[in-house]
Amino acid sequence: MLSNIGNFLLFLNVLLSILIIYNSYNCLKTSNNLIFRKIYKLSLFQSTSILICFFTLISAYLISDFSLINVYQNSHSLKPIFYKISGTWGNHEGSLLLWAIILTIFSFLFLIFNNKHPKNYRLYTLIIQNLLIIGFLFFILFNSNPFSVISPVPNEGLGLNPILQDPALAIHPPLLYLGFVGSSIYFSAAMASMISNYNDKPFAQSIKSWVLISWVFQTLGILVGSIWAYYELGWGGFWFWDPVENASLLPWFAMTALLHSLLVLEKRKAFYFWTIILCLLTFTLSVTGTFLVRSGILNSVHTFANDPSRGIYILIFLSIMISASVYLLFAKYKPERNYISSNSKETFVLINNWFMMFYLLTVMLGTLYPIFTDALLKSKISVGPPFYNSVIIPVVAVFLIFMAVGPQAKWIKNKFTNLKQLLAILIGALIINFLIFYLLKSYSIISNLIIISSLFLIISSLIDLFKKTETNFPRILSHLSFGFLIFFIGLNHNFSIEKDFNLKLGETKIIDNYKFVLKDLELNNKTNYKAIIGKLQVNNMMTNEERILNPEIRIYENPQTLTYEASIQTNFFKDHYLTMSNIDRSEYYNIKFQEKPLMIWIWISTIMLSFGGCLSFFRNEKNN
Amino acid sequence: MKFKIILIILLVNIHSISFTNEIINENKIHKNLRCLVCQGQSISDSNSDFAITLKMVVKDLVEQGKSEQEIYNFLSEKYGDWILYKPKLNKGNFLLWALPYIVLVSGGLIIVFLIRKRTEKS
Repeated sequence: MLSNIGNFLLFLNVLLSILIIYNSYNCLKTSNNLIFRKIYKLSLFQSTSILICFFTLISAYLISDFSLINVYQNSHSLKPIFYKISGTWGNHEGSLLLWAIILTIFSFLFLIFNNKHPKNYRLYTLIIQNLLIIGFLFFILFNSNPFSVISPVPNEGLGLNPILQDPALAIHPPLLYLGFVGSSIYFSAAMASMISNYNDKPFAQSIKSWVLISWVFQTLGILVGSIWAYYELGWGGFWFWDPVENASLLPWFAMTALLHSLLVLEKRKAFYFWTIILCLLTFTLSVTGTFLVRSGILNSVHTFANDPSRGIYILIFLSIMISASVYLLFAKYKPERNYISSNSKETFVLINNWFMMFYLLTVMLGTLYPIFTDALLKSKISVGPPFYNSVIIPVVAVFLIFMAVGPQAKWIKNKFTNLKQLLAILIGALIINFLIFYLLKSYSIISNLIIISSLFLIISSLIDLFKKTETNFPRILSHLSFGFLIFFIGLNHNFSIEKDFNLKLGETKIIDNYKFVLKDLELNNKTNYKAIIGKLQVNNMMTNEERILNPEIRIYENPQTLTYEASIQTNFFKDHYLTMSNIDRSEYYNIKFQEKPLMIWIWISTIMLSFGGCLSFFRNEKNN
Repeated sequence: MKFKIILIILLVNIHSISFTNEIINENKIHKNLRCLVCQGQSISDSNSDFAITLKMVVKDLVEQGKSEQEIYNFLSEKYGDWILYKPKLNKGNFLLWALPYIVLVSGGLIIVFLIRKRTEKS
C-alpha cells in the first residue's frame, strides 16, 4: 500500500519535472518578461508531492511496515520513535530521497525569490535544475528505490546499526545535504548565466544568498558530524581524515573560495569565469563525493552497504554534468581585461582562492591516491592523518597571516599605512605564544608557527572589531572565529594527555601523577540494549582533583553489536574523556583516559564561524 | 629598537624550540599504524587483538633502541605499506608528496602572471 503511494509520487514527480521543463521552454519564446503562472503552480505542486513522498517513507518506518525492503533492512519495531524517523535517511535509498527533496525545494525557492532577475535566466536555471532532479529521480526509481517490496513480509526488521542511534548523527545528514545538495542551485544558475549571458554583478547578487546558506549548513553539518565522531567513536579525536569526512570537506573548500570570489565579481565585475568554475566545481565535488562513498570504492568507517551498479549510474550522471559544463565554458569563454592591481583586495581574494585550491587538491589527492596505486602499481598504501597534518598545517600558518591582512586591503588600489600596527600585532602574538609554551613546557616548531599565526589573526580581527571604518561585522566574526578555531585546535593537539592501560575490578593503577581505581561494574538492562557500566575513580595527585567517570560497554540485540560509550566530563578548560573496553579471554578491561584542553571552544568557534555566515546572509538580504 | 625587540623574541622562540626532546613517543607511533583488522582506525584507537599485539611489538622495538623510522621500516616489511598512515616517500608515492607543493607553487605563479598581465594592460 505505502509502496504504491510512494512509487506513484515518484513517477508523478518525474512527470511534473518534464512538464516544468516543457512549459519553461515555451515561456522562453514569449517576448514579455513574465513567467507563466502555471510554472509557479507546477513547481509548488512538485515540492509538495516530493515532501508527501518522503512522509510516506517516514510513516512506513513509524508503523514498521516491513513489506518495504528498506524498512526491513534498517529498522526494528522496538526502536525508539526518534530513531525510527532518523532511520529514514540513515541509509542509501532514503538519503537519496532527501537529495531529491532538497533539489526540488531549492528549485522552487530560487524561482520565487529571484523575481527581480530577468525571465530567461530564471527559466534556464529552472530547466537545468529539473534535469538534475530527473536524473536523481531515475536513479531512485530504477536503482535505489526505497519503496521496493519484499515478499513474504518478514515479521521483524534487522534494526539500525547502534552507533547510528544517536541524536547528533540523526541530524547531521540533513544539515550536510542542505549544504552540498543546496549547491546544486548555483550549479544550475551558473549554467543558466552562461546560456543567457546574464553575468557580473547581478548574477553575483542572485546567487550570493544561496552560497551563504549552503556554506552555513555545510559548516554546521561538518561540525555535528565531528561532535558525533568525538563522543560516539570513542577514540577521543574529532577529525580522522577519513575518506567520507574528506568528501564533505572538498565542497566546503570550493564553497569558501566561491564565497570570496563572489565579492570581487559583485564589486569589481572581475573573475566572472573563475566564479562560474567554482559554482560548477562545488556541486560536481558533492556528486563525486557521493559517488566515491556509495560505490564502495573507498575504505572508510562510513560503511554504506555498497553496490557497483550505483557507482556506474552516478559515474554516468557525473560525466554528463561535467562534459556539459566544460563544453559551455569553452563555448562562452571570453578573456577579461579589467585592471587588477597587485596590491588590492582583489589580489587578496585571489590568494584566498589559491590556498583553498591547494587544500582542496591536497585532500583530494590524499583521498584518491591509494585507489591509483592499488590499480596501477598493485601496491596498497594508506594515507592518514600524519600525511595531511604534515602537508597542510605549515601552509595554514601562512594562510592565517593573509587572512588577517587581506580584509584590510582596499579595492582597486591599496596601500598599507599600518605596517607599524602589523609589527605590533606580530610582537604581541610572539609574546603570547612564548608564554603559552614556556609555562606549559612543550615545544614543536609547527605548533609554534600555528599558534603565532592564529594569534596574529585573532588580534588583528579584534582590532578590526573596534575600528570605526570597518563595518563588515559578519566578516570580522567569521575570520576571528576561524583564528580561534585553529588556535584551540593547536593548543588541544599539543597539550592533550593520553593514558592507555589495563585494569581489573578493584585494582588501582598509578601513572605519572594520576591514580585510577576501577571501583565497580554494574549491569543495566535498557529497552534495546544491555549495558556494563564501569565506575572509575580518577585522582589527579598534583591538583588533588577527584572525579568519577562512568564509561559503558553496550550490547545491542538487533543487530547484535558491541559499542563502547565514552564517559566525558566537559568544562570550560578541559574535557576528561574515558573509554573502557573488554579484552577477550581476560578479566582485565582496557582503559583509555584522555585530558583534552579547551575542547568545548573548538565547537564554539565553529558555531561562531557559521554564525558569521548567517549574519552575512541577513546583511546581504537587507542590502538587496 | 623595534627590530631588536622582535629579534630577541624570535631568538627566545627558537631557543625554546631547540630544547625539543628526542624522546620517542610511542603513542605517536601507534597513531601512524593502521589497525589492519578494523575499519579505518589506527592501533591507538583500537582494542582488537591485532592492535594489542602490535602495541607490544612497538614497545619491544622501542626498548631495543630502534628509532621511529626503523620501526616503520620493520613493520612495513612485515605487513606491507598499507599499515603506515604516513606513506613513505618513494617512487610510487612521489606524486602524492610532490603534487601539493607543485600546486601551491604553480598557483602562486599563475596569480603573479595574471596580475602582471592585468596591470600592464591598462
